[in-house]
Amino acid sequence: MAPVLELVGLTKAFGGLTAVNDMSLTVEPGEIVSIIGPNGSGKTTLFNLVSGIYEPDSGDILLEGESIAGLRPDQIQAKGISRTFQMLRLFSNMTVLENVLVGMHSRTKTRLLGAMFRLPWVTREEKEAVARAQEILAFFPGRFSGPRQSQPAASLSYANRRRLEIARALAGEPRILLLDEPVAGMNPAESLEVMQQIRELRDRGQTILMIEHDMKVVLGASDRLIAMDHGVKIAEGDPQDVANDPRVVEAYLGQRDAAAS
Amino acid sequence: MAKSGGKKRGPIATALGRVPRWVYLTAALVLAVLFPLLHSAGLMDMLWIRVAIRSLTFVLLALGLNVVMGETGLLNLGYVAFFAIGAYTTALLSSPSLGFHWSFWPLLVLSMVFAMLAGLLVGLPTLRLRGDYLAIVTLAFGEIVRTVFLNVTSITNGAAGIPAIYTPNIFGWVVTEPPQFYYLILFFVVVVVIALTNVKNSRVGRAWNALREDEIAAIHSGIDATRAKILAMVISAGVAGLAGCLFAYYQSFINPTYFLFMQSVIVVCMVVLGGMGSIPGAVIGAIVLDSLPDVIRATFSDWLPRVFGPTFMASWPAWLQSFFTDFEKYRLLLFGIVVVLVVIFRPEGLLPDTLWRSETHEEDPREQEYTRQTLFDIDEGNQDLEA
Repeated sequence: MAPVLELVGLTKAFGGLTAVNDMSLTVEPGEIVSIIGPNGSGKTTLFNLVSGIYEPDSGDILLEGESIAGLRPDQIQAKGISRTFQMLRLFSNMTVLENVLVGMHSRTKTRLLGAMFRLPWVTREEKEAVARAQEILAFFPGRFSGPRQSQPAASLSYANRRRLEIARALAGEPRILLLDEPVAGMNPAESLEVMQQIRELRDRGQTILMIEHDMKVVLGASDRLIAMDHGVKIAEGDPQDVANDPRVVEAYLGQRDAAAS
Repeated sequence: MAKSGGKKRGPIATALGRVPRWVYLTAALVLAVLFPLLHSAGLMDMLWIRVAIRSLTFVLLALGLNVVMGETGLLNLGYVAFFAIGAYTTALLSSPSLGFHWSFWPLLVLSMVFAMLAGLLVGLPTLRLRGDYLAIVTLAFGEIVRTVFLNVTSITNGAAGIPAIYTPNIFGWVVTEPPQFYYLILFFVVVVVIALTNVKNSRVGRAWNALREDEIAAIHSGIDATRAKILAMVISAGVAGLAGCLFAYYQSFINPTYFLFMQSVIVVCMVVLGGMGSIPGAVIGAIVLDSLPDVIRATFSDWLPRVFGPTFMASWPAWLQSFFTDFEKYRLLLFGIVVVLVVIFRPEGLLPDTLWRSETHEEDPREQEYTRQTLFDIDEGNQDLEA
């Protein structure tokens, strides 16, 4: 089977700084691949390239063999790449349910006139969308039950907001889900729960590419691990091996400290 | 700051909140329909029907502006331009000035279409701009449109305006008297409220709201930002075009002074007063702000004298007497004060879209400091590494 996502020699420079340099990677169907690297190593830039915020200077991005480089973010989302954000980006004054419904934008069809006159098929689509959104929210048992769905997203706890962002991304029925630090700011118990849920998603066939700093989560959830530093891939492979790779340790801690350990 | 906000509501507000929404809507509609009967019964001066017509015209404008400003989060300071385009379309094609006498429905549609085209025209190049820049461009657009109408004298007759606009004939119903116009405009207000409420609670409206809340997250949720914003701009312009058409018919005379920049500002104030993004808010905001000067003037020059005798203000200084009896002169002052008070004490507006409360009043206490766990924070081996 073709890889879900394939990056070929992807390069992006900002002025003199090459944030992502000749980066290649593949993500196979049903795989969880994690990217680690020190701050400023180009991980988020990579996500921004894949999700269409930036256009690559050179190289190509293939989604199931089809090039998506240069498309707008909304087009890329419609093709099947959904993402979450390192710093939360929810629609704070919209309800929990509405947040998920917005995530379904590209999977629903209602246009202005249909909505204005509330045509029968629009009502039907809306009903189906709400049912589907509730189904997605139910993936996080007990977190978004009943009345909480009609509360504004801003009223949620921090961890639940992170969960809601994942739910919104899932609503786009992505072929690949990009998670940018899904457990950032969570306590260890919450992180563990989210990690298990990420694995559960994978077991349901969801392909995932994730940036994460929490090594427990990275080692616990990833099938494969990629380490970046200064925009370059410095290691790739089995999560344990990569985490112990001297180049990776050096990237995080500097040479002397690494030698001291 | 305002302590009334947040989730703590008084007992009255709680009780009012329990009444189902349809009760309020039905009551409002019944009152609106019965309103002109007060005049027929001799209890009310015709003046108040004229005030109501003017207020309802502003209701249409506030509803339209609310689409771009309240729901999509785009500040449009030239909104009156679309109103002017609708009004001039109707005036030019249904008056002796150019010799046309189009009938009501085609003109209504054409007024909306021209306003929408103008919305598209100004939207296409500018909606990539954000915030203040968009406000400035739309402000300029509003002035350009008015200046064009003022200066293309061969068509628009310039500052002298277009007189003698024909009365509308709607399937044989000739609308001439103010109560008739009142019902005509009320009908369109109801239609627009229903249509915009339906859109608001749909995929289209959610896309607008998402753009207002967080544009980056919205485009990554599959929303074509440019397209959605232009749609909002065009719809909002269309509502203004409709209002302009009805306004021209009712006034039967228009000139460029009806479409000054200040009108745009007033409509913005109405949307803010009612509550950004709230459809009932836009309605209430427009009615309150537009009718308040008349109510104040009438209170002091008519109602209070009837209660306390005609000379109850006699001991007041002359300037204070004239301040209240000529209150129309000071309406802009009133608008300014009202808006400042609203922004300070009730930033979510009189009838907020309930969701807006949370953002404007309360900080979520559960919000935690954003702390990032670094690579080796949890790893037990890190003690060795630090050593």
